Amino acid sequence: MQTKKILYIDDDPDLVAQNKLLLESMNYHVYTAYSGKEGWDVYQQTKPDAVIIDLIMEEHDSGFILSYRIKKDVYGKTIPVFIVTSAAYLTGFKFGTSTEEEREWIKCDAILNKPVVLSELVQKLDEFWALHKK
Amino acid sequence: METENKPRVLVIDDEKGLRLGTKRLLELEGYIVDTAENGTDGVALGTKSEYDLVLIDLKMPDMDGIEVLNEITKVHPTSICFITTAYASYDTAIESTKIGAFSYIPKPFLPEELLLQFKKGYDRRILLVESEKWKAEREARLLEVAFEKTRLNTIINSISDGLLVVNSAGEAVLYNPSVLKYLQLDIIQLEQYIIDKLHPEIAQLIKNLLDADNYQCKSFSVQVELMGHERLFVEATSSPVPHPDGTLAGVVVVMKNITELKKIELLKSQFVSMVSHELKAPIAAVYGFLKLMNDKTVAIPDEQKNTFIERSQIRLDSLLKLVNDLLDISKMEMKTIHREIKEINLQRVLESTVELFQHEINDKKIVLISEYNKCQPINADVEEITRLFTNLISNAIKYNKNGGEIHINLKQSCNYNFVEIRDTGIGMKPEEKEKLFQEFFRAKNDRTRKISGTGLGLSIVKRIVDSYGGRIEVESEFTKGSVFRVYLPC
Repeated sequence: MQTKKILYIDDDPDLVAQNKLLLESMNYHVYTAYSGKEGWDVYQQTKPDAVIIDLIMEEHDSGFILSYRIKKDVYGKTIPVFIVTSAAYLTGFKFGTSTEEEREWIKCDAILNKPVVLSELVQKLDEFWALHKK
Repeated sequence: METENKPRVLVIDDEKGLRLGTKRLLELEGYIVDTAENGTDGVALGTKSEYDLVLIDLKMPDMDGIEVLNEITKVHPTSICFITTAYASYDTAIESTKIGAFSYIPKPFLPEELLLQFKKGYDRRILLVESEKWKAEREARLLEVAFEKTRLNTIINSISDGLLVVNSAGEAVLYNPSVLKYLQLDIIQLEQYIIDKLHPEIAQLIKNLLDADNYQCKSFSVQVELMGHERLFVEATSSPVPHPDGTLAGVVVVMKNITELKKIELLKSQFVSMVSHELKAPIAAVYGFLKLMNDKTVAIPDEQKNTFIERSQIRLDSLLKLVNDLLDISKMEMKTIHREIKEINLQRVLESTVELFQHEINDKKIVLISEYNKCQPINADVEEITRLFTNLISNAIKYNKNGGEIHINLKQSCNYNFVEIRDTGIGMKPEEKEKLFQEFFRAKNDRTRKISGTGLGLSIVKRIVDSYGGRIEVESEFTKGSVFRVYLPC
C-alpha cells in the first residue's frame, strides 16, 4: 500500500508539530501549513489524500472557507476534508455533518472536536477511503 | 376669653357719649372694641381690617350710615353690620337690611337689647366664616385633584418606558405613547380587548396573571426580540393591579428597551469566548507535548524532546503573561487600579525601560539610537507609564530583524510630551494596522509565527494612553518597519 499523504493545517505551530510526529509514527506522510491561505497553496502543490483543517485561524471562519474551496475543486471532491475545532464547545453552537443538508452548507466531510483523538481521526479517514475506494 | 377668640367690634357714631358708653359696655362683656367718630374714619377702619361686628349710626354729618355699610360689606362681606338710629323708620330698617345689614337697632337701646343682638350677630358671623373656610378648602382641593391628574398624565406620557394597563377583561384602560413602539401597534383602542393584538409572549405574560385562580402579588418578566426596521430587545414586566378589597383589577405592563444592554452582553460573551480560546491554545499545546513524550509507541530523539520541553516552557510562559495581562485589563475595566500620580520625567522612564531589554537588544544585535530632548514632566503613575513603554519597546525588539535599528525620540510638543518609537521590523499591512489595538489581535503570518505575544499588549497601551487623555498614532510599512507616536499631556 502506498503511503497516504495528509495535509495538516493549524495556526498553532506546536500542535502542527505534535500531530505531524504522531501521524508520521503511523506511517503517513504529512504536509503542513499554518493558515487558510498557505493551506490552499500547499493543497494545490501536493494534492494530498486527506486534509485536516483547524477552524479558527487568521479569521474566525478560515477553516470553513478553505474546506469550501477544496470541496469545490474537482480533485478535492474525491478526498476527505475534516475540520477540527473547539468552537462548538466555546460558542455553545453545535456543528455537525451528520445530514446531507449540513454537509451541503459546511462543505466538509467531518467535524472533529479538539483536542483531536488521533485514533478516531485515522478511523474516519480509513472509512472514507474505503467507501471511496482510494 | 382668649384674645384671638374675642369678637372684634367697630362702633361708628358721631355722638361721643353713645360711642364711649357702648364701648365700655361691650368691653365689659368681653368684646374688643374700636371706635370711629365719623363715617369716613369708620370706612377706613372697617375696610382696613375685618371686624366681626360693626355698629353703624345712620345719621352722621359727613356720610350716610347706609353708604358706610355699603363700603364695608363690599370689602368684607362676612362682617356683621348693624344700623342704629334715633330716627327709626320702617323704611330705613327695610332698606338697611336689604343692602346687607344684619339687623336694625333703634336708639335709644337698652344694654340687654344690644347684647342680645350682638350675640345673635356673632353666632351668624361664626357660621359665615366657617362656611367660607370650607368653601375655600373645597375649591383648593378640587384644583389640586385636577392638577394631580394632569400632572400624573404628563409624567406617564413622558417616560420612555412603555406602560400599558389592562383590566380584568383584557381591555386596554391606560397606556402611554412609548408603549406603541414596543408593542408594534399604531394605535391602542381604549376599552377594547387588546391581548390578541400583542406579541404572543407578552400576551401570555398578562394572561398568566389574569387567569390565575387567586390574586397573587407577583411580577413576571420576559425578554422579547422585536423584528422591525431596527433590531429591538424589550423587557416586559407585568404586575397585578389590585382592587381595594384585594381582588384583581387588572394588570400593568411596563416595557423597557434593553437593546444596548444586549449589545454589551454580546460583546462580553464574545470577549469571554476569545479569552477561553486564547487560554486553551497554550494548554492544549503543552498537554500535547507531554502526551507525545509519554507515548511509548512514538520514538522521539532526545534532541527533539528538548525542543518540546523548550516549546512547552515558552507556551506556559506566554500563558502566564496572558493571565497577567487579562488581570491588568480587568483592573482597568473595574477602575480598581490604585494610581500614584507623581511628576514623571519621561526620559528616565525610557532609559530604564531600555536598560531592562539590553540583553534582548544585544542578542538581536539591534542598534538603538535615542534622542532625548528636554521636556516638562508629566503627572502620571510611574508603573502605568513604564508598562506603556515596556510594551512598545518590547514590540520594537520582538518584531525587529537581527541587526535592525530602533529609534527613540522624546521631545516637547506644545502641552504634550511626544515619544516616537521607530523600528526596522516586519511592519504591517494596512488591514492589520486597523485591528492593531483590538484585544487578541495578532498579525498572523510567517514572520510572526515564531514570536510570542498575548495579543493584549497594544490593547493595554491604548487603554493607558486614553486614560491619561493622550493620543497614539501608528504608521507602518509592510516588511520595512513601524512607528508608534505617543502624546501624553503635561
